[in-house]
Amino acid sequence: MSGEQPLPPVRVEKALGLLPEIEALAPLRALLVSISRPDERTLWSSSGPYLTLGKRGVQPEELRRRMPQAFHVITDHLQVLYRAYVETLECHQRGDGPGAVAALLRAGRGEERVGRVGQARAWYDVALRVSQALQDRRPEVESLRSLGELFLRLGQHAEGARHFQRALAIAEAEFDQAGAIAACEGLGAAALAQSQWAGAQAWYARGLQLAEATGDQRQIGRLEHHLGVLARQQGELARAGEHLRRARECFESTDATEEIAGVLNMQGLLEGQLGNEAAAMAAYREALAWAQRAPRDAGLEVAIRLNLAELHLEAGRFLDGEEEMRRAEQVAIAANLTSRLVQIYMLMGKLRGRQLDETGFVFFEQAVELSRTLEPSPAAEAQVYLEYGLFRERLGQREEARACLERAREIFGTVGDSVDRRRVEAELEKMAV
Amino acid sequence: MRILAVGAEGGGSGGLLHSIRQWMADSGAEIESAPDLPRAVRQLGAGRWQVVVAVLGDHADDDLVWWVDTLRGASAAPRLIAVAHRPSMGLVLRAEKLGVLDVLSLPVRRDDFLRALRRVRTAPEAAVTLPDVESHAIGQYVLVGQSPAMLEVYKLIARVGPSSATVLVQGESGTGKEVIARAIHLNGPMASGPFVAVNCAAIPENLLESELFGHEKGAFTGAITRKIGRFEQAGGGTLFLDEIADMSLALQAKILRAVQEREIERVGGSETIPVNVRLIAATNRDLKEAIKQARFREDLYYRLAVFQIRLPRLTERGDDLFLLTAYYARHFAKEYGKRIHSISDRALDLLRNHAWVGNVRELRNVIERAVIVATDEVLRVDHLPEEFRGEEATLQDRPEGALLALAEIEARHIARVLAHTNGQIGAAAEVLGIHRNTLTRKMKEYGL
Repeated sequence: MSGEQPLPPVRVEKALGLLPEIEALAPLRALLVSISRPDERTLWSSSGPYLTLGKRGVQPEELRRRMPQAFHVITDHLQVLYRAYVETLECHQRGDGPGAVAALLRAGRGEERVGRVGQARAWYDVALRVSQALQDRRPEVESLRSLGELFLRLGQHAEGARHFQRALAIAEAEFDQAGAIAACEGLGAAALAQSQWAGAQAWYARGLQLAEATGDQRQIGRLEHHLGVLARQQGELARAGEHLRRARECFESTDATEEIAGVLNMQGLLEGQLGNEAAAMAAYREALAWAQRAPRDAGLEVAIRLNLAELHLEAGRFLDGEEEMRRAEQVAIAANLTSRLVQIYMLMGKLRGRQLDETGFVFFEQAVELSRTLEPSPAAEAQVYLEYGLFRERLGQREEARACLERAREIFGTVGDSVDRRRVEAELEKMAV
Repeated sequence: MRILAVGAEGGGSGGLLHSIRQWMADSGAEIESAPDLPRAVRQLGAGRWQVVVAVLGDHADDDLVWWVDTLRGASAAPRLIAVAHRPSMGLVLRAEKLGVLDVLSLPVRRDDFLRALRRVRTAPEAAVTLPDVESHAIGQYVLVGQSPAMLEVYKLIARVGPSSATVLVQGESGTGKEVIARAIHLNGPMASGPFVAVNCAAIPENLLESELFGHEKGAFTGAITRKIGRFEQAGGGTLFLDEIADMSLALQAKILRAVQEREIERVGGSETIPVNVRLIAATNRDLKEAIKQARFREDLYYRLAVFQIRLPRLTERGDDLFLLTAYYARHFAKEYGKRIHSISDRALDLLRNHAWVGNVRELRNVIERAVIVATDEVLRVDHLPEEFRGEEATLQDRPEGALLALAEIEARHIARVLAHTNGQIGAAAEVLGIHRNTLTRKMKEYGL
């Protein structure tokens, strides 16, 4: 036993800089992030309030010790894929086409779960090809739906809608109620994402009508929830409240805990918009309690905590807001939710902007870095630049603000997001006055 | 007293709700129940409760954290009695740290339950009037304190202020290094110039150089405009480099050059720019140790440490704690539109007995939070964070001389060392002087 002081941990920013951007290393990267810890000494130091992922520390020794965890994740994942493939072959051998498609789709979902969307698409494409040769067309509906959801996830809304449209046509022809409801839901989501309110309303309403015919409370609840979200976006708050109330009743009747948490989260947003701060707070608190009962969904928990934090900030309770954001950050890091971390750091930066604290720029820099590297997302990067620009503007740094906004406009243009692009242009115009 | 019992109805809890009703039959207590956490949240939102008795599930540790989180947002700050099947020592220690009133084992015994309830004190707390504190305002910052340790610091500021000497301010986190730097600036020959502060530890390493020295447009990806660095911004004034020990060796060399030659170059630029700044550096680290470990340049150290000021810990400042409490209580009361004129004797005792790892910064946070949640003109124990309430429970239950089992002492010590080493078993084993396998075994044994 030596009396030497243990070496200080390596900073995450340094550790990630030493890790090549190779896909095979993604589980190691995820492990590194999730085991990182803030240095105890910095918690009360003047840099403590500015702590970001990059400034956390990681002990190589601990990483070595926990490497089996990463290997376990890799082998688990590969087993899912390999088994799915073998099952596909077996189904093919005995002429079970739907079984083969189901196995292929399962593999695709496995890829999606670990964020490998490109690979997921490859599986879904094979599934679709196989399903198109079958007499039973429900597997084709299922394949189209999986692809549609994938495209929505990638922000390719028109492409997603096209797949759902095909799925709907086939499902209706085949009297596949469940498939038709899911397709309507997807079409509604695609329209909503493109701010086509009327279209979204029509698709969700149609889905709801079909769901009501089946009496599936969970499905009805989901569609009521979507309609509530849509109504809120359109500013029809009373109608939104009515939809959310019905959604909650449906979910409560089936004890769908995760969905109840989701509805309450939305209820919180609605109450906040109505200026009912106490009701919003109560809704978020209850949402968190339901989320705790549901199978752990870190993404949902972070989303609720972020909304709660925003509510605190709006009310000028910066300490509470910051505390909630730090809790959200902790959950997001442990679960390796990079996109959520980007949101968290954006919000932290916004908070510093409101306090006219120039050093808040470190949060935006970290958010830009994360949206570029760990889980590249141009849409997220553009959002960060938009908020970064507003932050700079608030601090009177007009030149930097303009540069950030122009960068945001450029990226929004590339990803085809016209709504946000227009928002950026409006901000730039305001600055020009 | 209003008690909310959660998850206490089913057979899994051994009929706890029924037992509680029996035990409390003559007490006049109002007892209600909820089947689970989500439903309990609704009830908590609908009324004021003094105590919540929660039966934890299979994942007792996680459940406990959720409960503490939930009660943090509840009105009247109810105290939590956590009930678990065979609670581990780890759970008990965690609960204590989180300010939980008590952890009881199923089946719950009457005496244990009633003893836990007795910890919820209802006796009035005596109010101690907060004095008006004279502070030395430095912009939005203030210097408060009359302790001998702080008087020494004031003398040093008075001595070094009028010169333009470089100063190194050392002290633990939260002791007020930046406030002292501002005081030096305002008492110095460059007081009419700007005071520019840079937190070297907060800024990403790859951006720190451009933050300090500036950059030309296009110097690197992300250099979308030309930027004037902090050295230039501080021209004719003071540049305060906080947490200087967190700088890379390469950047230390550039700082050294700037200090020696009084000129800089922007990143991506070729022009040499003269700078006229007074430099004040600060750190919470032991720079001499950092030099030994080859993490800090010795030549830079001697350049910076022309004049040194070491700030005392809050625990070394005696009754400054009371003055600071009074100052922050009045400051935040004004900010939040409240009237606070006293603190309870028990709350003050807890503040005086706290370890204050974060020094004045931590105290400021605690008082700000207390002022926010205070409902009348007195700051009370209930307004302090949960861990303080946990500390009170510990003090209360363990009178001086109370005997603890050896295993409990060992478990507590191990938990403390693990917290200190950030959960790193290797480092903890080293501190404890035992083999890591032994430590792992003991952690398992104590459920840590």
